[in-house]
Amino acid sequence: MAARVLWVRTALLRGRRPGPPGGVVVPAVSFTPPALGLQLGPYLPDKDSDRTPRWQRTDHFDRKLYGRYGDASGIEPATLWPNRDRIREMIRDEEQWEPPLEARLRNIRIRETEKEERRLSREKLVAANMAKMPKMVADWRQEQRDTKRKMAEEKARRDQLLAEARERFGYAVDPRSTKFQEMVAEVEKEQKKKKKLLKKRQREEQEATPLATPLAAD
Amino acid sequence: MSLIKKPGGKALEILQNLPRITLGNLRPEPGSKKREKKRGRGQYGGNRSGRGHKGQRQRGTRPRLGFEGGATPFYLIIPKYGYNEGHSHRPQYQPLSLKRLQYLIDVGRLDPSQPIDLTQLVNARGVTVQPQKRDYGVHLVDEGAELFAAKINIEVQRASEAVIAAVERNGGVLTNSFYDPISLGILIKPVPFFQRGQPIPRRMLPGEAMVPFYTDPSVRGYLAPPEEVQKARLALARKYGYTLPDLSRDQLFAMLSSRKDPRQIFFGLAPGWVVNMADRKILKPTDEKLLQYYSS
Repeated sequence: MAARVLWVRTALLRGRRPGPPGGVVVPAVSFTPPALGLQLGPYLPDKDSDRTPRWQRTDHFDRKLYGRYGDASGIEPATLWPNRDRIREMIRDEEQWEPPLEARLRNIRIRETEKEERRLSREKLVAANMAKMPKMVADWRQEQRDTKRKMAEEKARRDQLLAEARERFGYAVDPRSTKFQEMVAEVEKEQKKKKKLLKKRQREEQEATPLATPLAAD
Repeated sequence: MSLIKKPGGKALEILQNLPRITLGNLRPEPGSKKREKKRGRGQYGGNRSGRGHKGQRQRGTRPRLGFEGGATPFYLIIPKYGYNEGHSHRPQYQPLSLKRLQYLIDVGRLDPSQPIDLTQLVNARGVTVQPQKRDYGVHLVDEGAELFAAKINIEVQRASEAVIAAVERNGGVLTNSFYDPISLGILIKPVPFFQRGQPIPRRMLPGEAMVPFYTDPSVRGYLAPPEEVQKARLALARKYGYTLPDLSRDQLFAMLSSRKDPRQIFFGLAPGWVVNMADRKILKPTDEKLLQYYSS
């Protein structure tokens, strides 16, 4: 089909009438297929050629060629192994990054003992603090009781003072007033005096009595 | 015309004359491909092409998934918590159940008369291991433990107690052993590695997080001392209530007692050797530096 169309076109271009294709057909175009990409035998790159890609000139690629084609690749088998420098490098790397099993086990043991010690010390601390706990609780309870008692005493004293003030003035006094404050000061003064007097008398009594009596007084 | 018909005569003839199937003459199954519909053609070509009227729906400019129109999205309301911390670095183990292992042996995809390691399991298409996806090997799972009846010498990377009991009850041997990702890649695909023409490397030791597991005799770690492993075997038999078969009097004693060196990747191939597949040869190094490196 395509050949026929082409033939007609060429005929037209040449100014001839298209006739039936017979006789010698001169094709206007020709097509030569490219060679099949068959590689018979191993592909061995030419190392000296500039057209060979750089990655095909490496040792790595040589090893690949040997792995693929074996002895037919022409690669010297001794080059498959790392050279002296590379081995030294590998050994150094392994010494740095790959400790032997014993070292690993030792590290694990050290870490575990450290963890255990930390746990034990913490447990010890907790036990010591828990031993202190009952006394601390008892102390706290005592403190609470004391505060309560003190507050009750204070309240009773205040009530008594207020009652006294009411008795003295005849009406309920405001505890913030100066009148009340003065009265409180007066009462306190009196109480101090009384206390002093009491002390004095006690001392006198002690001096008057013989030495044997203090035991009995106790 | 002869009356004797050849068996499958015509079909065989057709088959013989048909061209060989290659990538060049393969094509999709008829009906499996559907041509994409061309929008905007025909009677209603100037209309909306089935995309509705205006807006994000028509223009395909919808907001991203999870976006709630400016409100704090649900996926951000829930606080993060470390359940998935480091999930992209965790070692993965492909599961293989005892049921499937028994099936592979029964249909002949695995040969129980030889030691079974990852190469055999992968070749039998029992598991697919991808070291690039942080796969560290195979986890033998106890599904089908009650029907497992093969005597094998198997090497896996993880196995539970019930699995060990099921294997040892039948007179088999199980070892849990570690492969670093490079060794694992070599072990699951030996031929591509041999075609690289490189010497077989040494297997690396497990990291400190995995050393306790692989030195534990009760899980049959490959770094555990053999006499302690034997003690653990007896203890497990007592625990599960079976009598441990005596391996030393077994016909397959040689096979059952074969183990790899902790630094060895393949059975029968030492580190440092080069396998020449094309000429069917094995090359061994002779340089004493090399020997020293590969044997340490």
